[in-house]
Amino acid sequence: MNRLELFTDLLRNRTAALGLCLIAGIVAVALAGPALAPYDPLVPAPLDRLQPPSAQHLFGTDSLGRDILSRVIHGSRLSLLIGIISVTISLVPGTVLGLLAGYFGDPLDSIIMRVMDVLLAFPAVLLAIFITAILGPSLPNTMIAVGIVYIPHYARIVRSNVLSLKQQLFVQAIRHLGGSHARVILLHILPNTFAPIIVYATLGMGTAVLQAAALGFLGLGAQPPQPEWGAMLSEGRQYIQMAPHVAGFPGLAILLLVLGFNLFGDGLRDVLDPSLRSR
Amino acid sequence: MRKWCVLLTLLVSLCPGLAGAADQPVTGGTLIWGRGGDSVSLDLAQATDGESIKAGIQIYENLVKFGDNSMDIEPQLATSWEVSEDGLTWTFHLRKGVTFHDGTPFNAQAVYDSFARVIDENHPFHSYGKWAYLSLSLGMVKEVKVVDDYTVQLVTKKPYAPLLNNLALWLCPIVSPKAMAEYKDQIGMHPVGTGPFKFVKWVKDDQIVLERNENYWGDKAKVDRIILKSIPEPSARLMALQSGTVDIADDLDPDSIALVKKDPNLEVIEKPSINIGYLALNTEKPALKDVRVRQAIAHAIDKDTLIKAIFQGLAIPAKNPFAPTIWGYNDEIQPYAYDPQKAKKLLEEAGFDFSTELELWAMPVSRAYMPEPVKTAELIQAYLAAVGMKAKIVRYDWGTYLKKTANGEHDMCMLGWLGGNADPDNFLYGLLSADTAVTPGAANVALWKNAEFTELVKQAQKIFDKEERAKLYKKAQEIFHREVPWVPLAHSTIVRCYNKKLHDVPLRPNGLNSFQMVWKEK
Repeated sequence: MNRLELFTDLLRNRTAALGLCLIAGIVAVALAGPALAPYDPLVPAPLDRLQPPSAQHLFGTDSLGRDILSRVIHGSRLSLLIGIISVTISLVPGTVLGLLAGYFGDPLDSIIMRVMDVLLAFPAVLLAIFITAILGPSLPNTMIAVGIVYIPHYARIVRSNVLSLKQQLFVQAIRHLGGSHARVILLHILPNTFAPIIVYATLGMGTAVLQAAALGFLGLGAQPPQPEWGAMLSEGRQYIQMAPHVAGFPGLAILLLVLGFNLFGDGLRDVLDPSLRSR
Repeated sequence: MRKWCVLLTLLVSLCPGLAGAADQPVTGGTLIWGRGGDSVSLDLAQATDGESIKAGIQIYENLVKFGDNSMDIEPQLATSWEVSEDGLTWTFHLRKGVTFHDGTPFNAQAVYDSFARVIDENHPFHSYGKWAYLSLSLGMVKEVKVVDDYTVQLVTKKPYAPLLNNLALWLCPIVSPKAMAEYKDQIGMHPVGTGPFKFVKWVKDDQIVLERNENYWGDKAKVDRIILKSIPEPSARLMALQSGTVDIADDLDPDSIALVKKDPNLEVIEKPSINIGYLALNTEKPALKDVRVRQAIAHAIDKDTLIKAIFQGLAIPAKNPFAPTIWGYNDEIQPYAYDPQKAKKLLEEAGFDFSTELELWAMPVSRAYMPEPVKTAELIQAYLAAVGMKAKIVRYDWGTYLKKTANGEHDMCMLGWLGGNADPDNFLYGLLSADTAVTPGAANVALWKNAEFTELVKQAQKIFDKEERAKLYKKAQEIFHREVPWVPLAHSTIVRCYNKKLHDVPLRPNGLNSFQMVWKEK
């Protein structure tokens, strides 16, 4: 399958296309950021607090009178950044560990995978809370925490792929022709694990954003006054009875972004997975 | 004829009982009390936080107490007292026939042990605790003497006028000597007092359960049980109150109080408080050492807007370290006006390094004097940013927060004081003198050591004449105003929100009450 084919397949897949639209929309908002936001997201205007949505403030104002639309727009950058950085933090070490474990087998395999199993044994949020508790609550630490939590997932996927690739004829052939371990791993095995990793990373972006929002909600992520969506949602729940828009709009934003990544990831899997292609 | 009389009397006596079911106190039921956080220690001689105090004062009693709805002194475990001519020896005559919850009899020895453990380093119980706010409790007491089984004398180092108010504070509880010997440094987890309620169990961060003391010496408590539930989220506390899951909800944010007022099933009572919420500026940090920097911060903050936005008007702006409801308040002081230009100028004059990022510590729990600490911090942060000062908001859990601020680890920290014994001494000496600025465990978290100020407030302690004392306190407030160890923010209106099923709910101006007489409709 060449690249063009992949792309047209993706667009033909409705789920993927819808997901891609959502992501593209949010990325565009994030890139345009300050140009789009009508107000400064950090400057309070206490006397205009908790105003319902109006022409002046499309999403209303929060408890300190800050424009929620502007905060949601600025927050999109934070959320995307969180997604990309934490996925990278889990992806890179996860892939390396998976490659090593799968390729070299025991005893390295056992050591790495048992450590991964231990990490997997913890519920994701609990482990993330644990890590942020050690590192201290802040946005970068949230990304690190969420990143670490998902390392075992990538390690496992990569390892299982490597295990089957290792037995395949072309890999055996290169080894017998005198190819070094490094050459085999980097040039022949790694590229063949890309497809599942990409799918998983796309899905992982959504999960990471959601996890970071959860940590923000618990007060462990972004610190005030940063307009992180999870933290905004958390702040808004106090006013859920008198001003539901304060929690509503950041909640909606989280929903759309996570939905986008999930739909796109699902579509991508459908397109990339050969077993599903034999319609 | 006689039969008829009996019947008639019976009927008459029954009728009001039936018709006025809501007016006649009934016994029984469980009072569920939703509050913002868990207690730290239920040994009140060690307690410095409101959550410990409000639970502990249900269990413990003192020699004297404040009135249920005022701050006037009334007898409690002491029935009467007198002061010697030289103002140094106080003699207390104790109540007879009182026993602790564990059956230990209350007598002069119990008072001796409860007090001597705090002030006497050689007392066997002394090492079991870190005695809080000594200057507000027994710090001035040199010696405790047992005269006979029911008479105790306290000898002070100097004539010390505020002593009686101090003894009424939560810091001077009378604790069972048997329990102190048994639980040692764990007495804070196993409180045993003489009060109308006794301790049953404590599930950390969840609830504390208290039960009626059936052997109480006075009017027995009306409700069978009090459950103090920790519900950290103010909106969750509001919902719990609206749905009837809790009977009382503490420290609701002002937006919620407006909702409670509208609810036909709920009641709100209000009173001008004696509390203060303030921003303490750590005078030992290089960036805040210069008084001009501190004055600039005072000029940078718009208190009126802060009160409108955060307190919803349920407060008055503060300019002095204590509220105008307390005698000795200096109303001549002109508050620092909100003036960002002047603030900038002062900072430049002081050569303030605008690249320094100061830490602004925000309380993790809401209090009457600080209903929305994080939002208040965000607002202050924005006000500081407007004059070019960078501030980073820092948060810790409550226990850690108190410990670290008492160590002086912060640059600026938000704190408050519920008002203690309603004596100016409580605020000025207790929270601002050089004597209390000693780390660790400083109550003066600005670590402000001003000799002139300290001298004045110590002088005032030796004077028994209120007018004369007030003069010194007014002068001390001038020094405080000039030196700005704190930016006083607000004195909130004290509010209690509860379900209308509850009756005879008291409200003292400091918000700390025993719920002995509260009763609940079936």
